[in-house]
Parts: sequence; C-alpha cells; structure tokens
Amino acid sequence: MGKASSGELVQGTLPLLILRTLASGPNHGFAIARRIQQVSREVLRVEEGSLYPALHRLEVQGWIASEWRVTENNRTAKYYRLTRAGRTQLEREATRWNAIAEAIAAVLREA
Amino acid sequence: MSAWRTLLHRIGYLSRQRRFEHQLDAELRFHIESRADELEQHGYSRSAAEARALAEFGSRTRVAEDARAAWQFRWIEDLVADINYALRTFRRYPAFAATAVACLALGIGANALIFSLVNAALLRPLPYPDADRIVMVRFTPPHQPDQKLGTNAGGYFFIREHSRVFERMGVLRITGFSVAVGESDSVAREWLQGGWASPGLTDVFNVQPVIGRWFRPDDTQTGVVISHGIWQRLFGGRPDVLGQTIRLDLWRGVVIGVAPEGYQTLTPDVDFWVQQPDQDLARALRSPNRLFNVFGRLRPGVTIEQAQAELRTLERPLGEYLPMNDGWALDVDSLREAYVGYLRQPVLVLQGAVFLLLLIACANVAGLLLAQALARQREIGVRAALGSARNRILRQLLTEHVLLSCAAGAVGFALAWLGLRTLVNTGLSAYRDLQNVTLDWTVVGFAILISGATALVFGILPALQLSRVDVVTVIRDAGRAATASPGRSRLRDGFVVMQVALALVLLVGTGLLVRSLLRLNAVHPGINPERLLAVQVPLPRALYANTGGNTPAGGLLVRFDTRFGDLTERMRDRFASVPGVRSVAATTPPPLGGRARRVLFRKVRSLSDDRDPWSSEWYAVTPDYFETVQTPVLQGRTFTKHDAQSSRPVVVINATLAAQYFPNESPLGRVVQTDVLDDAPREIVGVVGDVGQDRYQTSPAPQMYVPRRQLPYRMDMQMALEVLVSTFVVRIDIDPAALVSPLRDAVREIDPTLSVSSARTVEEYAAGQLQELSQYATVLGVFGALSVTLAVIGILGVMAQAVGNRTNEIAIRLALGAQASSMLGLLLGHGLKMIAAGIVLGLAASLMITPVIRSFLWSVTPTDTVTLTLVVGGLALVALLACYVPARRALKVTPVAALRGE
Repeated sequence: MGKASSGELVQGTLPLLILRTLASGPNHGFAIARRIQQVSREVLRVEEGSLYPALHRLEVQGWIASEWRVTENNRTAKYYRLTRAGRTQLEREATRWNAIAEAIAAVLREA
Repeated sequence: MSAWRTLLHRIGYLSRQRRFEHQLDAELRFHIESRADELEQHGYSRSAAEARALAEFGSRTRVAEDARAAWQFRWIEDLVADINYALRTFRRYPAFAATAVACLALGIGANALIFSLVNAALLRPLPYPDADRIVMVRFTPPHQPDQKLGTNAGGYFFIREHSRVFERMGVLRITGFSVAVGESDSVAREWLQGGWASPGLTDVFNVQPVIGRWFRPDDTQTGVVISHGIWQRLFGGRPDVLGQTIRLDLWRGVVIGVAPEGYQTLTPDVDFWVQQPDQDLARALRSPNRLFNVFGRLRPGVTIEQAQAELRTLERPLGEYLPMNDGWALDVDSLREAYVGYLRQPVLVLQGAVFLLLLIACANVAGLLLAQALARQREIGVRAALGSARNRILRQLLTEHVLLSCAAGAVGFALAWLGLRTLVNTGLSAYRDLQNVTLDWTVVGFAILISGATALVFGILPALQLSRVDVVTVIRDAGRAATASPGRSRLRDGFVVMQVALALVLLVGTGLLVRSLLRLNAVHPGINPERLLAVQVPLPRALYANTGGNTPAGGLLVRFDTRFGDLTERMRDRFASVPGVRSVAATTPPPLGGRARRVLFRKVRSLSDDRDPWSSEWYAVTPDYFETVQTPVLQGRTFTKHDAQSSRPVVVINATLAAQYFPNESPLGRVVQTDVLDDAPREIVGVVGDVGQDRYQTSPAPQMYVPRRQLPYRMDMQMALEVLVSTFVVRIDIDPAALVSPLRDAVREIDPTLSVSSARTVEEYAAGQLQELSQYATVLGVFGALSVTLAVIGILGVMAQAVGNRTNEIAIRLALGAQASSMLGLLLGHGLKMIAAGIVLGLAASLMITPVIRSFLWSVTPTDTVTLTLVVGGLALVALLACYVPARRALKVTPVAALRGE
C-alpha cells in the first residue's frame, strides 16, 4: 500500500465524495475512485484499502444500494447507486462541509 | 432509522455469509482487473499489468476484513471465527489438546474440590439472623495458650453481670441421655447428646422452632425441643409431634418444639434441648467444673475486638472474685471461629497444595504450547504475511487457550464431583463440621474464575512468543523442519524447572506427614487391640443421689450407693456368658479412645518427699482388666475380687510412674495418696506396662489403676458422670461385628432403660486417633503423585523435542563413529541441568513452606534429613528416567532414516 501524503483525504470526507460522485449516476468502485481522482485533478487519491470498506459501510447505512451489472468489457461489476436517504444525507453533509470550508477559509483570510 | 436498518443488514449478513464472501472477492477482483486493463493501455504486457495491479492493490485480506467489518457484529464474528479456527487446530493436534485439557482438568478439579471444603467450613454464612454478632466466650488456662475451655457457673454470672457489650447471653451444657420415645418401657433406648440451655440462650441464636416454641421460665412440665434430624428419624417427621412423650433417662419430657434444619449449638450432634433454670446454675456457683459453654449476642455496632478488649479488663476481677479462675484468660471468638476454627489451617493448607498443583499444570501446558508453537510457526507466519494484525493473531491464540481451559474446567468440575463423592464415602463423615459439603454455586463460580485465570497464566507467555513470529525467517526456512529459537527453548526449560520445584514442595510435605504416620504406627500401644471390643454403657444417674452439698473445691457433691458396683458386676458377668466372649472387664474411658482423667498424688510416709504433687492418668477398672487388654504385669499382682470396699485400698501403677518416682527402689508396698475426694491412701501392689492412651504423646505418661469396687462413695458430680459412662472391654474369639447385637440384647435384658452408646473395636479407636493425620497424608499424597505425573509429562515433552531437533546430528555423528554412550551423556546432560535446578529451587521453597504443617508432624522436623533425601532421590530418579527414555530412542535412529525424514 503506497502512501500518498499530498493527496491524503481529510478524515471523514471519503463518504461525502462517494455520495457526490454517485449523484451523477450509478457506478462501480473502480470508476468511483478514478472519477474522484480526475475531478480533483489528481489531487485526491482514493486508497482501495479505504474505498471498499467505506462503500460497504454506506451500503449498510442504507445511503447507497448495489446491484451486479455487466460492463462494456463484458465483466460483471458491482454497481452502486444513491438511494433517496443517501441523497438527503448528501445534501446535509455537503451543506455542513461547505460551511466548515468557508469558515476555515475566512479564518485563513482574516485572522 | 439507521440503527434498525444497520441491525437488519447485519443479521441478514449472518445468513448470507458465504455468498457475501464470494461477491466481495468478485468485487475486488474486478477492481484489480480494471486497473490491469488501464495499465495494458499504457503499454504493459497483460501479465506484467496484472502483476503490477495486484501489487498496487496491497493486502486483499485486510481490505476484505475491513469491508466485512461493516456488516458484522465484529466481535461476535471474530469470536465465532476464532472458535472455529481453534476447534480446527485442536482437531489437527488432538494429542496436544487432550493432554492440555487433562492436565488442566486435574488442577482445576482439585482446586474446586478443596474449595468446596473451604466454602462449607469457612465461607458459607451460618443460618442465624445477624450471625456475625453471635460470639462464644471461652477460657484459656494459665500457661496453656492453645486451650480454649468452657466456663464454670460463677464465671458466667460474673461476666453477665459486669460486661456491657452483650445484648443477651446464655450458656449450654451438653450431656448424654438414654432416650426413648413414647410411654412404653419396652421401647429400645438410644444414647443421645442433649443440651441444657439456660434462659437467654435461645435469644442469642434468635431462631424460632419450625414447629412449636422454645421453653418459657414458667413451664410446669419438662419441655423438650428436638432437632430436625431427630424429628425425622424418631418421629418420622410427623406434624403432630408436639405433646409427644420423650423419655430422658428416668424423666418424662414433652416435645414442645422442633428446631430448624441446621440449627447447631456448639456441635451438630446435640439432638435436643431442655431448659436449665438459672437457680440450678446458681447452686453450682462456686464449682470449678467448666461444664458451660457461653454464647453471647453483641449489641449492634459492637465489634468482636471491642468485646474482647472489655472482657480482658474483667479477667483480673474475676480471678479475685473466684480464685479458681485466677490467671485464666477470656477469649471472644465469632461463632464460626468457635465451631470450625480448628479446620481453618488444614483446609487452607490443602487449598495451598492444590494451588501448587494447578501451577504445575499451567507450567506443563505452557510448555506444551511452546512445543506446539514450533509446529505452528509457519501457519502463524503465513497469516501474518497475509496481513493479519498481531493483536488479531494474539486474540486468536488466547481464544484457543480460553477454550482449552473451559473444557478443562468442565472436566475438572466433573472430577471434583467424583472426588467429593469418594471423600464423603471414605472419610469426611468423621468430620462432624463438614457434613454439608456440596458443589454449590459458589464453588461453580470459583471453578469458572480459576479456569479463566488459568487460561491467562499458562497462555500469555507462549502467545506473546508465538505472535512475535518473524515473517522473513519463516518464509526463508519454508520447507525445512523448524527449530526452536534459543529464547523459546529457555522458556520451556524454565517451565520444566518450575514443575520439578513445585512437585518437590508437595512431595516433601507429603513425605513429612507419611513419616510421622509411620513413626506413630511403629509405637506399640501397650495393649493388644486385636479382637477387642469396647462397649460403652452409660449407667443411669439414679445410681447416685444429690447430697445438696459441695465438695471442698466447690463442685456439687453426690453420693453413690452399692447398686453402682453391683450393676457393673452383673453386666460384666452377663457379657462374659455371651458365646464368643473370652474375657470382660470394665474401665473408663475406652482404651486408646478418649482422654483419661488426671489426678495429683503424693507419696505417703516418705520423709524425703516435700516436692509438689505429681500428676498421673487415672483409671478405675474391674479385676481381669489387664488380662483382657493384655497389658503385661511387670511386678507384683493385679486386682482380684478380694480387692473390695472393705479390704485394704490398693493401686497398680505403670512402668513409667515406677521409673520416675521410685527410681532406686521397688515401688511395691509403697503408699500413695491421690487428690480424689475421700480417697484413702493406697498401697502399690503391682506394676504394669505403659499404655499409649493418647497416641500423639511423645513419651509415655505416668498411669495408675484403682479397683472399681474401691471407689469412694462420695464424688464430685463431674467425676461421677465420667465414672457412670462405663466402658466394657470384651476380648472375643470371633468376628466383632457378629457380637455387637448379642451384647446389646444382653444390656437390655439386665435393664430395659439402659442403652449402648457405642460399640467399636479398640483397633477402630486406635485408627481413629490417627485418622485425621492419615487422611491428610492420603489427600496430600494423591496431589503429590499427580504433581509428579504432570512433571514427568513436562520433562518427556521437552526431552522428546530437544532430542527430535538433534536427530540428524546424532545420526550423523553416530555414523561417523561417535560413541553411543557419549551421545547419551550429551542428551542427558540437558535434562540433568533442568532437574538439578528444579530440585535446588524446590528444596529452598520447601524449607520456607513446610513449617505451615509443623503442627501435623509427630517427632519429625520440617527439615527431616531422611524424608528430604528420600523425596529428592525418588523425584530425581523418576525425572531422570523421563529424560532417558526419549534420549535412548534417538540413539536407535539410523542415519538413513533420519535423513529420509528431512
């Protein structure tokens, strides 16, 4: 397991990122990881060691659901999609995160 | 909602576990393959891409564990997995599992068994309200600090009047009665112990009868409260027992109550209680006889220490008020201490012994685990390499240990149950205070507790060792037979040393007890106890009359009439006519059973004698006594029918008395005067051999015998009661058991109100004196033998492994011409070092520990050289043998076989 010090996720943000990624449509774990990496312009790297446990925890909590589908490469993959509860959770978490981020930015600017 | 949903998900997971594992695997595989696809597009070959993707992914095991954790009640899942894993391990190493469980079961079982004794004797609460406030007050004579006796009446009244710490006080006097139920005179009598209870005694215990009531001061008839046991046995547990007649000697009593089960005043064999008014006690106010047991209920908030402190201040005034109490100490003890305090040391010593045994078992199993660790090194290493965290492996190993000790606890408890049954059937009945030993919930709890503790003790070191496995070494050495690391071997050797040392401690203790027993048994008792029955027949109290006066010492004075001597003679003659009886004589107490009366005497008409009076045991016997018990007559003669009331008073002394007090002269014809009331000066007519009445006496006691026919008519009541309980010694030709019932019939024929209180062989009395010691030695011996067995198993294991590791080396050296004997020496050297270290440690520990059993030893010191030599020699021999067997086997291996085994 390699270390990615620059791209290490802030504690507790991975579930939020997963939920947001799935808001654009169902996808499998590998694609979720890649998408987070792309959108963040390679700043955020998702470790497989954290990704799959996080996906399973979200599923147990009922915020995402899963089904098996065949990919374009003819492989079967586990696709996750956002549930209604997950959407609510995403809104709540996103609001909270934005508030915190703004607050931190304000402190950095003016303190 | 989330909590419920999570719970449902998790429960669902439990039922679909296998499918989940499969899907999780597919999901992770898909990820790796997708990454490989990506790499392939970047120009990697397919195989290189797959290898790189796999490497990047890291530990699949750990990701799977973490993902799984989301779905699980983690600890339950882990536990179930660990238990399954442990069970698989046990199946893979069945010999190891069986040995470990067996060793631990022995240790735990022995502990549970002995703890059930501790529990019954020292822990279980006594069945009285506020039992911790009930105390006994006992008297310690001057210069005999380990004696605790009852009080005289005067002492009781004085304490009751002057102490402030007691809410209530009462006394109990215990005497035997010839008892019959109902009005008829033809009902067979039975000899039972009854308690005379003073007013206040029932308030001290504060327990109400289950039926009826206690006595009241204004009762007009003799009210009797019977024990629960007698209610069941003599009255069949009938509810209409109240008002029934119960005959006590010649009195007629009425049952007014039944005491609850377990109600116990002083001893459990007191079977009924009658009232003794304070006026009766007051008549004996100046009597020195200590017949009364004082019980008191402390005021609320008063501690035993405070009560003790107050009574200390009363000692001196009491001695001034009643000089016979001068110098006596007053002791306050809790009821439990007074009842079973004498059991504390023996049972705690036993508990200590089985604790040592358990430690040996733990050391043994720890050794086994270390040996097993060698075999499992790779398995654990592979698990660690696959990404299992160290504490996860540790937990797995500890689960195995807890499982082992749980199994051992269950087996051990079964063993304890069997052991207790054996103990109850063989010897426990002799301990009247250990009648209710059971494996109750307290014992179960204790067994569970020590099982758990055991798992930690034996498991922690090996588990730490094993979980510290070095992955690199394991993988590098893969395929080669594993060898023990030096640290682990040393640890294992240490466990063996500990086992040998602990076993030695137990063996030394046992050895000292056995040697005491052998010494005691080697002492000739001075009589021939074979085919000798001692039949006790308490004669009725009607044979004496209360004079109403006091002896000069203050005791109640009673007067015997001639019926006493006549009745004794009649019974003696009747017994002699029973077929199978060779000769009969009467005495008090039974030979080799019970404490003899002691008297003081002086030589009479000896000008040189101005010393203090001497002390001697004193027996009142009929003619034919010495012939019957077969004590040799050394000088002069014994008694005949002609030594009667009207003839010259005579006495026969034993060899020790003759040697000590008549060292340079013949005692025959000398005259002595005893301090027995009204006793005339007696002429010594014979000298007989010494009798060891008390088998624990280290040197023979002075003894004197007087003819029963020549006893004074007036006696102190206490002595009268002793003399009345006559013992008939019967020398017989046939099986003693066949004679008991004809002898009982003979007694009833002479007087239907008489009863035989006991009929035992003198051999039984002799063995009875040593019973405690011999049972103690037996139990310790069993534990000692077990400890040696365990130690031998431990040595065998270590040696087998040490030898196994060097099989190749040995085979090759032998092939190259090394001498078998020098190789043997090399192998044995290792064992010898361990044994020697164990023995040195064990001896040091023994010297520190064995003094706790000093009070059980008889003319043997805790450092007895013979015992120590034999025990050390024996243990060393057995241990060496345990080393020799595996070593010998290794030398027989051919080089070819050894290398093929590689």
